[in-house]
Amino acid sequence: MNGTQDGPRFAELVAASNFSFLRGASHPAGIVAQAHALGMAGIGIADRNSVAGVVRAHIAWKRLGGPGASGVGRAFRLIVGARLVFADGTPDIAVYPATRHGWGRLTRLLTLGNLRAEKGGCELRLADLLDHARDVALIAMDGDAALLGALGEAVPRLWLAATMPRTGRDARGLARRMALSEKAGVPLIATNDALYATPDDRPLQDVLTCIREGLKVQTAGRRLAVNAERHLKSPAEMARLFRACPQAVAATGDLLDSIAFTLDDLRYEYPHEPVPEGWEPQGWLEHLVMEGAKVRFPDGLPDGYRRVLDEEFGLIRARGYACYFLTVHDVVHYARGLNPPILCQGRGSAANSLVCYFLGVTPIDPVKEKLLFSRFLSDERNEPPDIDVDFEHARREEVIQYIYRRYGRDRAGIAATVIRYRQRSAIREVGKALGLTEDVTARLSGTIWGSWGGKELPEARLAEAGFDPANPELARLRDMVDRLLDFPRHLSQHVGGFVLTEGRLDETVPIHNAAMPDRTFIEWDKEDLEAIGLMKVDVLALGMLTAIRKSFDLMRDHKLGDYDLRNVPREDAATYRMLQRGDSIGAFQVESRAQIAMLPRMKPRELYDLVIQVAIVRPGPIQGGMVHPYLRRRNGEEAVDFPGPPGEMRDVLDKTLGVPLFQEQAMKLAMVAAGFSPAEADGLRRAMATFRNNGTVHHYEEKLVEGMVRRGYPRDFAERCFEQIKGFGEYGFPESHAQAFAWLAYVSSWLKCRYPAVFTCALLNSQPMGFYAPAQLIRDAREHGVDVRPMDVNASQWDNTLEGERVLRLGLRQITGFREEWAERLKTARPVSGLEDAARRAGLTSRALHLLADAGAFGSLGCNRREAGWEARRVPAVQLPLFAAFGAPELGKEPEAALPAMSPQEEVVADYQTHRFSLKGHPMQFLRGRLTARGVVDCATADAARDGAKVRVAGVVLVRQRPGKGNAVFITIEDETGIVNALLWARDMERQRRAVMAARLMVIEGTIQRSKEGVVHLMADHITDASEMLDGLTDGSSGASGPVCGDSIRLPPHPRGERSLRGHPRNVRILPRSRDFH
Amino acid sequence: METGSDPARPDPFALVMRVGNALRLSAVNVPARRLGLDAGMTLADARACVPSLLTRPADPVADARALDRMAAAMARFTPTVGVDPPDGLILDITGCAHLFGGESGLARQAMALAGYGALHALASNAAAARAMARYGPEGEAEGEDGVRRLPLAALELDCDALAALRRAGLRTTGDLARLPMRAVAARFGEETVTRLRCLLGEAASPVAPRPARSPIRMEARFAEPLIRTDDVLDVIESLLVQAAREMEIRQAGGRRFVVELCRSDNARRGLMVETGQPVRDCAVVLRLLRERIETLADPLDPGFGFDSVSLAVLRAEPLPSSQPELGAGEGRDAPPDGLAALIDRLSVRLGPQNVFRLVPCDRHLPEKAQQPVPASRARGIAWPVDGDRLPRPLMLFDPPQQVEAIAGVPDGPPQRFRWRGRLHDVRLAEGPERIAAEWWRKRTGHFPGKAGPTRDYYRVEDMAGRRFWLFRHGLFAEKPDPRWYLHGLFA
Repeated sequence: MNGTQDGPRFAELVAASNFSFLRGASHPAGIVAQAHALGMAGIGIADRNSVAGVVRAHIAWKRLGGPGASGVGRAFRLIVGARLVFADGTPDIAVYPATRHGWGRLTRLLTLGNLRAEKGGCELRLADLLDHARDVALIAMDGDAALLGALGEAVPRLWLAATMPRTGRDARGLARRMALSEKAGVPLIATNDALYATPDDRPLQDVLTCIREGLKVQTAGRRLAVNAERHLKSPAEMARLFRACPQAVAATGDLLDSIAFTLDDLRYEYPHEPVPEGWEPQGWLEHLVMEGAKVRFPDGLPDGYRRVLDEEFGLIRARGYACYFLTVHDVVHYARGLNPPILCQGRGSAANSLVCYFLGVTPIDPVKEKLLFSRFLSDERNEPPDIDVDFEHARREEVIQYIYRRYGRDRAGIAATVIRYRQRSAIREVGKALGLTEDVTARLSGTIWGSWGGKELPEARLAEAGFDPANPELARLRDMVDRLLDFPRHLSQHVGGFVLTEGRLDETVPIHNAAMPDRTFIEWDKEDLEAIGLMKVDVLALGMLTAIRKSFDLMRDHKLGDYDLRNVPREDAATYRMLQRGDSIGAFQVESRAQIAMLPRMKPRELYDLVIQVAIVRPGPIQGGMVHPYLRRRNGEEAVDFPGPPGEMRDVLDKTLGVPLFQEQAMKLAMVAAGFSPAEADGLRRAMATFRNNGTVHHYEEKLVEGMVRRGYPRDFAERCFEQIKGFGEYGFPESHAQAFAWLAYVSSWLKCRYPAVFTCALLNSQPMGFYAPAQLIRDAREHGVDVRPMDVNASQWDNTLEGERVLRLGLRQITGFREEWAERLKTARPVSGLEDAARRAGLTSRALHLLADAGAFGSLGCNRREAGWEARRVPAVQLPLFAAFGAPELGKEPEAALPAMSPQEEVVADYQTHRFSLKGHPMQFLRGRLTARGVVDCATADAARDGAKVRVAGVVLVRQRPGKGNAVFITIEDETGIVNALLWARDMERQRRAVMAARLMVIEGTIQRSKEGVVHLMADHITDASEMLDGLTDGSSGASGPVCGDSIRLPPHPRGERSLRGHPRNVRILPRSRDFH
Repeated sequence: METGSDPARPDPFALVMRVGNALRLSAVNVPARRLGLDAGMTLADARACVPSLLTRPADPVADARALDRMAAAMARFTPTVGVDPPDGLILDITGCAHLFGGESGLARQAMALAGYGALHALASNAAAARAMARYGPEGEAEGEDGVRRLPLAALELDCDALAALRRAGLRTTGDLARLPMRAVAARFGEETVTRLRCLLGEAASPVAPRPARSPIRMEARFAEPLIRTDDVLDVIESLLVQAAREMEIRQAGGRRFVVELCRSDNARRGLMVETGQPVRDCAVVLRLLRERIETLADPLDPGFGFDSVSLAVLRAEPLPSSQPELGAGEGRDAPPDGLAALIDRLSVRLGPQNVFRLVPCDRHLPEKAQQPVPASRARGIAWPVDGDRLPRPLMLFDPPQQVEAIAGVPDGPPQRFRWRGRLHDVRLAEGPERIAAEWWRKRTGHFPGKAGPTRDYYRVEDMAGRRFWLFRHGLFAEKPDPRWYLHGLFA
C-alpha cells in the first residue's frame, strides 16, 4: 500500500484475471491488491466474455477498504465488466457498465451469447453489442474508423485502447492510433492489456498457454509471449511509456469517473409469487407457520415457543426474508402435493429454525432440541439464509423442472461450481506442458491418494514413486503445480443450488447452458452469491429418501401399515437393540465400516444418541481426538468435567458430556474460551474451509490456542480443539444437520428392523445408492429371515416385489443389462411357455433372451440355465410372417446336443457372473476342502475366535478402503459363513502391496482383536493372493484334486490384438469388482 | 511370440498404449506377468499393484517392422513364411525339416534365431499350429489330440459367444467338435464351424507367404579386364539402366548407390554416391559418379584391369512413376529440381557433412530462429512469409559483438556507440523490441529474476546511413549496468 503517488492519475482498465480461463495468470484478488500497491487510481477487471471473477475482485477490493472506509481506500476504485471477444472478427471490446441498468444490459448480452453457443462458448456479434450498449463505457482494443464510428453512435462513452507492448514498433503503432483517434474523434486510453499482476507471473502464463493450446514449452516457440510486459505497471511507468501521448494516461481517470456502478448496487429482491392476493409476504408466512404449529401442537403452543417464534419473525421481518421462506415452502409444498408425493426433508442449519419446523421443511423441533436460531440467521452475520432440502434422488429432476417452470428460465438458474485445479489435474496438465511424458505424470499423480494430500507435492511421495525429489525437472513441476493449484479451470453447475429472483435473473448475472439437457446455470458460485447477497435454495438429491418412500409404498400396498416420515413410531426398543449389535447394513449414515464398529461402543438408546453417532465418525472429532474421551465418559469410565473456568463451558458442552463434537460447539468454544468475536469465529471456519490460506490459518491457530491457555484451558485440549476445527473445515457437521440425518437413520433402521423384506426390496429398487452392493443387501436380508426368491420369467416384475411380508421376489432389474421395456413387454405376454414363446409373444430381442436364460429365469419352466442358454442362441429375434400367420413354431427339431449337466458350483459361478450374487451358495464353499487342507478357517470361525488368537482366513474381497490420513487399510472379505473385517497398517502394506491391491480372493493371516463391546477386527500381518483358486472354479478343476497352478512361468494365453486392450471378457472375472480406493 | 519382453530384464516392465481415454498395458514382460499384470489392464490399476512398474509407450509400427525383419530372417528355413500380425509367424516346413536335423532341430534353431521369449508349436496345418502356440500347454503331445484339448479361447470368438459356449459346459475344442455341427452353426454361425474345422485339419488353412524382396544388385563380368575409366563408366551406365528398370517395377528410387570394381588381382574398390531425393534417372547418378571419381584422393588404379563391376542400390525409397508431359522438350525436360541436383553435386564434391541449409526454428531469440542442417537431409523447407514480421538483418554476428554504448535510462535507444574502435553517432533509432530469455532452459528459470537477462533490440542508423542492430543485455531492473552488443548489420 503506498499512498503517495509519484505518477499521474492512472488506472489499468483492461486487466484479465484467471477467470479468463487459461489466459489470465493471477487471481482477481491478486490483481486488485497489486494495482492498489502500485498506487493506481483504480483497476478494471474484464475477463473474456465473462463476469465470473468479478465478485472475487469485489470482495478483495472491499477488504482493502472500499467505499465507507477512510483514507487511500476511498480513492482506489474497482470497476467491473467484461472483455467481449467476437465470433464475427470484430476486434475485442472491453465493456464497463456505468449504472445498474448498464450492468443488466451487459449480463443480458453475455447471456445471449452463452445460450447461442454450445456449452462453454459465447458467440457474440457486433450487432449484439450495438443492441445492448446502453449506460456502458467501451474500450475498443483495436479497430478502424468505421467500427469506431458505429460504436460512437451507439454510446457516448467510447475510448480506443493504446498499448506499448515493447514489440519493436511501439512508437509507429502509437502514432497510427493517435491519427485514428483524431480522425474518428475517439479519445485514446492507455492500457497494458494486462494478463497478470507482476512480471514474475510470466512462466505461469506460458504454462497456461501451453495447456490451452496443447503444447510443450520447449517447442511452443513463438506461440508463447515474447516478453513479460503484460503485467500491471505503475502510473509513473505508464506516464513514461506514453510520454508522447499523456492524454491517453489521463483518459483512464475520465473513464473511472464516468462509472458509478459497483456490485453493491445489485440490490436483490426475492420472488413474490407464493403470496396469495390480499396478503403481505410476512403476514402470509406467519399465517402458514401458525397453521403448521396447530398441526404440531393441536392443544396450543407450549411455553417458550411463542417467544422463539416472535424472535424469528422479528429477524425475518427486519431482513425482509419472508419471501425466501415462502419460496422454500412453495417448493416443498409442491413436492409433497404430487401424486405420488416426493419425500423431502430440510437439512443443514435450517433445522435450527422453528419457522422451518412449522412450515414442514425440517423434521426437527429446535426448541425441544435446544438448537440456536442464531446458527441459522443472526444479526452479526450479514448473510442470506441458506436452506438445503433433500429430495428423493430418483425424482429430484421433477422438482428442478417445476422451479424452472414456475419462475421461468429468466428468473431461475442453478449456481455455478468453479472447477479448480487440484493436485491430480495440475500435475497432469503442467507436466504435459513442461514436456514430461504421460507415463511420468501418471506415476506422479498416481502417488497422490485422493485429494487430502494438502498443498505441497510431498517429497516422501515422490521418493515413494521412485523419483528423486531433487531432480530439477521435478522441482520445477512441483513449483509450477504449486502456483497453478486453485486456479479456476472451468465453470460447472452446482449440484442443486438454485438462485431465484423477482426481476430478470439475466439482468443480474449471465446464464449458461449446462451440459445436462434442460438445465441452465449462472456464472457465480456459492461464495459469490453469498457475497452479493443473492438467495440460494439447495435442491439436493438423497437416495435414502427414495428408498424410504418406496418402503412406505410397499407397506401400504401390502397392508402393513400407512406411514410417512412423521408418524413412524419413535424410540422403538427393538430397533435400538439391532443397532447396538452393529447390525446396520443398508441403514442411512450408520452403515459404513467405521459406523458399524462404533455402534456397539456407542450403544444408542435414543434418537439423540444417533445424532451423536452420525456426527462423531467424522474428520472433525476424529482429528481432534474427541472420540475416545466421549466414549469413555459415556460408558462411565471417566468423570464428566468441563475444561476451563468453572461453569463457562457447561452450557456449550452439556449435551455431549463435556466433549465438543459438533461444529457449532467448536465455534462457540472459540468465542467463549478464546475470546473470538462471532465474526472472527466465522472467519476462522471459512479460512479452514478454503485451500491456500495457510498464512491466516497460522494466525488463527496462535490466537485460539494461546487465548484458551491464557483463560485457563489445558494446552493439550486447546490444540485438539484447533485440530478439530481444521477437520470441520473440510467437512462441517453442525448439530442441526446431524439431527436431520439422525432422523432418517432412525427411520431406515426401524424399517430394516421391523420389515426387512420391505426395506431390502425398496433399497434394491433404489439402486445405485448407499454403501453396499445388491449382493450384500440380499445376503443380509436372508440372514434376517427373508425368503428371497429367484428371478423368474413368469413371476418377476421389473422391480423387486414382495410376495409376502417376509418373501422377496427378485426383479428383472437385478439382471445386469436388462431393460425395463423388455420387462414390460414380458408382463403383457404372461404366462410364457418357453423361450420361443417368450421371443414371439413378448417380442423380446435375442439379447434379452440371452440375459434371461443366463440368469436362470426359465427355471420354473423346467428349462435349466444351460439348456436355456443353448436354446436362446438359436431363437431368432423376429418370427418370419409365414410362421406367425399359422402360429406355428418356426424352429425345426434338431438332434439332441447332450450338453454336460451343470454342477452346483457352475450354477453359483454363473449366478455371480450374471447378477453378482447367488441364492444357491457362495463360490467359497467349493474351495472349502482345499482351504481347510491349507489350514484356513472360515469367516464365522474367525469372528468367533478369542481375543489374540492367530488365524488364517480366506474370502473374496468386498471392500478396500484407506480412509483419513491413510495410515491403515481396511479390507472386508466374505465367504459362505460371513464376513471378516481386517485392518492392515500402511507400514506393512508396501511389501505385500500387490496382494493387497490385486487379490480377488485373499488369504489373510493375523491376530484377532476383540473389543469388550464385541467388535472383532483381524489385525493382518500377512496377505496372500489366492485369486487363481477362483479361476479354477470355471474350469471344473477345483475339488481336492486338480493341480494348483503356482508360479509356473508358462505365459498364459492372451486374447489377441486390439480387442484385448479394451478389457477383459466377462468370464475372466468371476466376481464383481470390489469397491476400492485408488 | 512375445515382442517387447526381454527375459534378461529383472524389473517388471510393460508397454502402454492409449485406448479411448485410458492408458492400458499392451504387453508385459515375464516379471510383470508373474506379479499378476497382463495386457489389457489400465495403467492406473497396474500401478496400484506394482508402483515400480517401468513403462514405455507401445510402438505398433516398430513392432510390425521387427516382425517383418524376423520373417525375412526365417527365410533360411523355408521359402514359405507367413506373417501373422501383430506378433506371430507361420512357417511351412514341409520338406525342409531334414535339412536342419529334423522338426525339433529346426524348431530349436528357429527359436534361437527369433530371440525374445518366443513360443512355438508344430502341427499338421497352419491354423492348428497357430492355436497350439498361443493357447496350448507347453511341452505336451502335439498332433490332433493336442488340438482337441485346446481351450475354446483358441477359436478366438467374440467374448459373448465364448461365454455362451463355456456356460453350455464346453471347455475344449474337442467338446465342441463332438456336438452336431448343424446345432453349432445355428447358434454361433458358420464362421465358428469353419474355424473349428480348420483347427482340426478338416478345412484348409493356407499360409500366405511373405513376398521376398531381394536387394537390387546388378553385376557384369568380363573375359577381358577393363582398363579405361570411360569403359568402366559405360558398363556402369548399362548396369544403371537395368537397375532403373527394376526400380521402376518396384516403384522405388535409389538414394544410395554403391559400385564395386573388382580387379583381376582380386583387389576391390568401392564407390558410393548418395542423393537428396530418390532417383531413377541414370544420367543423374552417372554424373554424380563421375564427380566422385574425379574428386577421389587416390584415383582409380585399374592395375591389370577390372574383371567385374557390380552396382547395388543399398537404400531405396518409394518413388511413383511420373507421367511424362505431352509436348515435352524445349527445355521443359530439365531436371525438375535444380537446387536438389546442385546440392547432390556439391555434397559429392565437398562431402555431405560440409553442405548446409538454414531451416527456420520457431524461437523468439534471433540467433536461434534458424539452424543449419546438412543439406541432404533438409527437404521441403518453407520459410514463413508473413509481412508483419519485424525486419531482421541479413548478417548476424555469432556471437554478438560487444560494443560500448551510451543510452537513455532505463530503456532508451543508444545515442552513440563504439564498435571495432570506431565511434558511431546514432541519427535514427527504433525500438525497443523486448525479447525475454527462455526460462524453461534454465534449472531455476521459473523463479522470479532467474530466467536470465532480457534483451532490448534497437534498429539504428548512424550519421553515415549505415544500419545496425544492437541490443542491451538486461533490463535495468535485472542488472544495474547492462552491456550492449551489436548483433547484426542491415544491408
